Amino acid sequence: MMDVIQQLREQAKKLLEEKKVDLVIGFGQGTELARTTPVFIDSPEGVSKLTWGPFCANNLAKYLTDYKNAPGNIAVVVKGCDSRSVIRLLDDNQISRDKVVVIGVPCPGQLEWQKVAAEVKPGAVLKETADNGESFSVKTDAGDYSFNKKDYMLHRCLVCENPNPVVADITIGKELPVKTYEERFAEVSELEQMNTEDKNAYWDKQFSRCLRCYACRNVCSVCTCQICVFDQMLPMWVSKRTNLSENTMFHITRAFHVAGRCVDCGECDRVCPMDIPLRKLNQKIHKDLGDLFDSPTPGSKPGIPSALGEFSPGDPEEFM
Amino acid sequence: MEARVVNKGQLPELLDKLAKDYDLIAPVQEETVVLFRKISGGKDAFLEYTNSDVSPKGCFLPQNEKTFNYTYTGDSIEINKPEGAQKAVLFGARPCDIKAITTLDPVFEGEKFGDEYYSSKRENTVIIGLSCSKVLSTCFCYAFEGGPCDGTGSDLLFTEIGDKYYVEVNTEKGKALADAYSQIFSSQGADQLAKDKEELAKKLAGEFVRKVDLTGVKELLDNNFELAFWSGDEQKKCIGCGTCTYVCPTCHCFDIFDYPTGDFDGARLRCWDSCMYPEYTLMAGGHNPRPSRKERVRNRFMHKLKYHLDRYNMVGCVGCGRCVRKCPVNIDITKIINDLKEVAQNA
Repeated sequence: MMDVIQQLREQAKKLLEEKKVDLVIGFGQGTELARTTPVFIDSPEGVSKLTWGPFCANNLAKYLTDYKNAPGNIAVVVKGCDSRSVIRLLDDNQISRDKVVVIGVPCPGQLEWQKVAAEVKPGAVLKETADNGESFSVKTDAGDYSFNKKDYMLHRCLVCENPNPVVADITIGKELPVKTYEERFAEVSELEQMNTEDKNAYWDKQFSRCLRCYACRNVCSVCTCQICVFDQMLPMWVSKRTNLSENTMFHITRAFHVAGRCVDCGECDRVCPMDIPLRKLNQKIHKDLGDLFDSPTPGSKPGIPSALGEFSPGDPEEFM
Repeated sequence: MEARVVNKGQLPELLDKLAKDYDLIAPVQEETVVLFRKISGGKDAFLEYTNSDVSPKGCFLPQNEKTFNYTYTGDSIEINKPEGAQKAVLFGARPCDIKAITTLDPVFEGEKFGDEYYSSKRENTVIIGLSCSKVLSTCFCYAFEGGPCDGTGSDLLFTEIGDKYYVEVNTEKGKALADAYSQIFSSQGADQLAKDKEELAKKLAGEFVRKVDLTGVKELLDNNFELAFWSGDEQKKCIGCGTCTYVCPTCHCFDIFDYPTGDFDGARLRCWDSCMYPEYTLMAGGHNPRPSRKERVRNRFMHKLKYHLDRYNMVGCVGCGRCVRKCPVNIDITKIINDLKEVAQNA
């Protein structure tokens, strides 16, 4: 992946030197071998911070709304899934197209850093990574490792719909083959088979753990309300109290609020400190939107309006 | 210092007995996460963990706490306070988390602002620590004078050695408990295990990979509230969630509000709050002392590295590494410490 990193830095440098953008948001090496961290580069000298590889899980499109009123243009590094967020943000009029330079990188999948960290010698320094199809090789100063995708990749990447960015002004790296997955909604289907009591018990168990740290909401690229209903003090729709009732209220409301806009980037699921499988909630909605409205994953096809944001006389719902 | 020995095989029996005589709080595994919960016996405890996902601070400062119930009776208001805490045992807490409890003590047990809810639980709880057997890449307790086998703050400290636990008796409270279950806490063979424990502590002390050096950081923060550093990448990447503060064993901010259950009755609650939230300390008139992420991020690290030291002469961080592991965007207090040190050196 060294060539991708090299090209990323060259392109970012060019954009900054030619003053086409004031800021480049990308991935930089994190404080753990298998983690990257968002970096914000505003000068050509800073581009050496940019990196790329199988540890770039974050969806950096999230940050675009932070800069929507800032002077100057912004470049952002996106994977295929993140590019769906860019499309959604454009369609929701959250950002303007001419303000953003999208640097797309075809992505062969992202590894779960905790799983990798458990195998690698603590304190080892990353030298190089490479995609070998079924696995990633990770070279460090303490030896070389190989991680097969099946066991170490983020779950969302195992059924990736858009390995290639849907929108990009600059594409770096080779386009990857697109696969379709019959089992894309396997987990949701499994839940659907349960009876109501079991389903209830399943989610009660999950939601009762929730700390209400709001990491799921804050990492979400389509959560763009300036003041979230859950932060409102007057009226206080939910209090700071954590209990099953209010936790459930929070998660269900959020799932419905992003219905038709959620791009299935899976970030909510990744960042939950209590490992609540939040993506399953959103995936159920994706599955239903597909079944009922033949709607693709939001953001996966530019120009198609949100299933729930459009009126159509041919709507199959009878009461319409 | 006294010491005892407990056979590992007898631990479930001990936990069963403790659960019968006390409210027993111990680490349990729920799906993939490890948390502290009240358990009913040895079979529920999960001790093969490195560091729980949430710290046991909730034993003393629960995320939700009812301070009293109120009822408006027409001409007056009746206030009903909950009864004092039950006798409890916190079993299996790691040394960093126990040290964290000692940093909460001066906040809630100070002479000026004593907190009966906290004190009642603290007085009635025996803390039984469990030494670490592994150091994670995110651990850095050594930087705050802690250690994987450090007994500070514990009443008893268990250290696993082979098929036995070496048990250090650190307080009278701990001694009373060990004496009460003398058929399980034996005194034989403690001397040899003491040496083994020392060896283990030495071995683990060499396994830390994070270099954390606090030299000059406090002085820098003392003299510089405004630093260009706080406008940099750390606040830009912060997404403003409360994960770091909620998993932190030393964060102790709370919010107090009334929770009506009817037109004339309800409860006054105190719940965890986070300085990362936009409504934290928001004034009634609309003024927000920390209006943007920059001020919020600065506040968290100033609290850990300066304010707690100023107020209580204790650091506000114990190096458990939870915030480092859990932060969605890899904001890392060890990097911040080292970056600040660099700022101090270049100043």
